[in-house]
Amino acid sequence: MYSVELRGATKRYPGGGAEPVVALDDVDFAVEPGEFVAVVGPSGSGKSTLLNVLGLLDDPTEGSRLLDGTDVTELTVAERTAARKESIGFVFQDFHLLPTLTAVENVALPTAFDPGDESDRAADLLDRFGLGDRLDHEPAELSGGQKQRVAIARSLINEPAVLLADEPTGNLDTETGESILAEFERVKEEGVAVVAVTHDPLVEEFADRVVELTDGVLEGGTAGETDSVAGSSTDRAPDSALAPEER
Amino acid sequence: MSDDGSGGTASDRGAAGWLRGWRPAVAMAARNLRRNRVRTVLAVLGVCIGVLAVAALGIFGNVLALGADDAIGDIGTQVVVSPNADAGVESLSAADVAAIRRAVDDPAVGDPAVVPLYSDNAIVEGASGQTFATIYGVEEPGLAFEAAEGRLPDRHRQGAIVGSGIAEDLSVGAGDTVGIAGSQVRVVAVLAESQTFSPVAPDDAVFLPESAFAADGYAQALVVAESGETARAAADAIREDVNAREERVDLFELAAIVDEINDFFDLLSTFLLGLGAISLVVAGVSILNVMLMSTVERRQEIGVMRAVGVTRRDVLRVLLAEAGLIGAAGAAAGTLLTVLLVAGLVAATPAVDAALVLDPTNGYYLLLALGFGVGVGIVSGAYPAWKAANERPVEALRS
Repeated sequence: MYSVELRGATKRYPGGGAEPVVALDDVDFAVEPGEFVAVVGPSGSGKSTLLNVLGLLDDPTEGSRLLDGTDVTELTVAERTAARKESIGFVFQDFHLLPTLTAVENVALPTAFDPGDESDRAADLLDRFGLGDRLDHEPAELSGGQKQRVAIARSLINEPAVLLADEPTGNLDTETGESILAEFERVKEEGVAVVAVTHDPLVEEFADRVVELTDGVLEGGTAGETDSVAGSSTDRAPDSALAPEER
Repeated sequence: MSDDGSGGTASDRGAAGWLRGWRPAVAMAARNLRRNRVRTVLAVLGVCIGVLAVAALGIFGNVLALGADDAIGDIGTQVVVSPNADAGVESLSAADVAAIRRAVDDPAVGDPAVVPLYSDNAIVEGASGQTFATIYGVEEPGLAFEAAEGRLPDRHRQGAIVGSGIAEDLSVGAGDTVGIAGSQVRVVAVLAESQTFSPVAPDDAVFLPESAFAADGYAQALVVAESGETARAAADAIREDVNAREERVDLFELAAIVDEINDFFDLLSTFLLGLGAISLVVAGVSILNVMLMSTVERRQEIGVMRAVGVTRRDVLRVLLAEAGLIGAAGAAAGTLLTVLLVAGLVAATPAVDAALVLDPTNGYYLLLALGFGVGVGIVSGAYPAWKAANERPVEALRS
C-alpha cells in the first residue's frame, strides 16, 4: 500500500482566456512508506500544484487521490483539515513558523487546540533535531537551519504518513541544506514517505527517486517506472552513499 | 471526521470542553496583540473612550432624572377634586365628598386621606400690614399639611392656621392675632413652606375652621396619597365612580405632570446614551479596521495554521479572542475612568448630591457600557475573523 497516491489526477485552473490552464495533466504518482521522492521541473511546471493536491490543500479536477489506501479525493473542508492534521506534515521554503510562538509552541501548533499537552513530545522532537537548548527561543532568535529543523519537528508532531516539502533547502546555504536533507533521511527511516519539490540538485542526490514534471506531465510517477534516478525504495542505496559526507 | 479534529466534539463534553477550547485561543490572541502594541493600545483607547462616553452620559442623564424626581416627587401625591362648572355643578356637596371617600376607600389605591375645603377671599391684617389671601375652611388640616410653628389640631375648631408666605409678610407667628374680614382670630399654627406646586397654594392662604363658613358646598377636595402611583389610582377611581353617570367633578392631577416630566428625562437619558453609543460605534469601526489589517498582514500565518491542521473554528476563536480582548480591555479601562470621572465631579461640584450619584441604577449604566464595549469588540472582529478563517489555505500560502 502506498502512503500517498494520485491516479490520473488532472488539475485545471480557469485561465484568463477561454482555455483553462492545465497545471497537472493525467498524473499518476505514488510514494511508498519510507521513500524519499524528489520532484523536479522548471518553474511553472505544476510542482506546487502537485504538492498542494498531495497535501489536501487543493483538490484535483479529475482523477483520484488516496492517503494510506483510503480515497480522499472528495472531502469536506473540515474533513480535509482533519486529514491534513492526522496524516500530512508540511515543510515550507520560508519555514513559516509563527513569530509569536516559541520553538516548542511552534512544534506543538497542530495540537495546540486539542485536549492534552503535547509540549513534552514537541520538546523531545526538538531534542532529536539537536535543538534541545533552543526550546523557548522564538523564531527570530533562530538561524535558518534551526528554523527549518523546528518546521520539520512541527511536521512530525502528529506522526504523519507523508511529509511534503516545498523547496526545503531553498533558503539555506549548501552546508545547512545538507544537514536538513540528512534529517529527511532519518524521518524517512521511520517509515514516513517524503516528497520534496525542488530546484536544488543536492536534494536529488539524497532522494531515492527523482521524478520530473514538465508542463503538468509527470515522468516516473510511480516506483515501477524505470526512469527514476535512484531506483525504488526496495534497494535503498542513498543511505550508504550519504555516509561519507553526512554521517 | 469532524472539524474538531482529534478531540471529538465540544458538545460531547459540554461547557467545560467549550471553555477549554477557548483557553489556547485566548493565550495565542494575547500574544498576537502584544506584537503590535501601539496599534492595540490605540484600538483599546477607542473602545475606552466609547465606553466612557456611554457610561458617563448614561449616568449623567440618570442623575438628572433622579434629581428631578427627588425635587418634584411630592407634587404627584396630591389630587385636587373641584366641581365641574361646565356641567352646572357649583360646589361639592357632602354627598359628593362621601362619594369621593367611597371611591378611594380601597386598599389598592392606598386608602388616601380626603380633605374637603371651603374657599373664600379676604383681607388679612397682621402686625406689620395687611394682604389679600385665600381663606380655606378645613376640618382636618393635619391630613394634608404640616406645621412649622405651633401644632395642627386633629379637629380644627377655633383659631387660624397661617401659610408660611402670609406669616412672613405680616410678621405673625403662633400665638399672635390676625384680623380676617374685620374679626380678630388667634393664630394656632404656621404651616411649613410647601415643597410642592399645588393650585391650593397653602403658603398664601389662611385656614379657618369649617364653622367660619356659611357656604353650602365645598370649593374643592384634596386627595392626599402616599405616592404618585396611588394618587393616579385614586384619580382613576374617582373618575370611574363619582363621574360614572354625570361629569360632576374636575380632577387636577399632578401625577400626570410628573409623568410627563419623567418621560422627558427618560428621553433625555436615551438621547445622551445615543450620543455615547455613536462614539462606541466609531470605536467598533476602529477595531474592525485593526482586525482587518491584522488578518491581511498575517494571511500567510493563518494559512500555515490551516495547512498544519488547525480547524477553521479554532482560527476563528483566536481572531475573535483578539477582538474580544481589545473590547474587554477598553471596556474595563473606560468603566474605571468613568468611576474616577464621576467621583471627581462629585468632589468638585457641591451642587451634585452624592446620594444621587451613588444610586444603584447608575451601576446599571456602568454594566451596560462594559457589556457594550466587549460586545462591540466581538461584533467588529466577527467579519475579519470569519473572512480569515474561511480563506483557502492554498491561497493564503501563495501570497
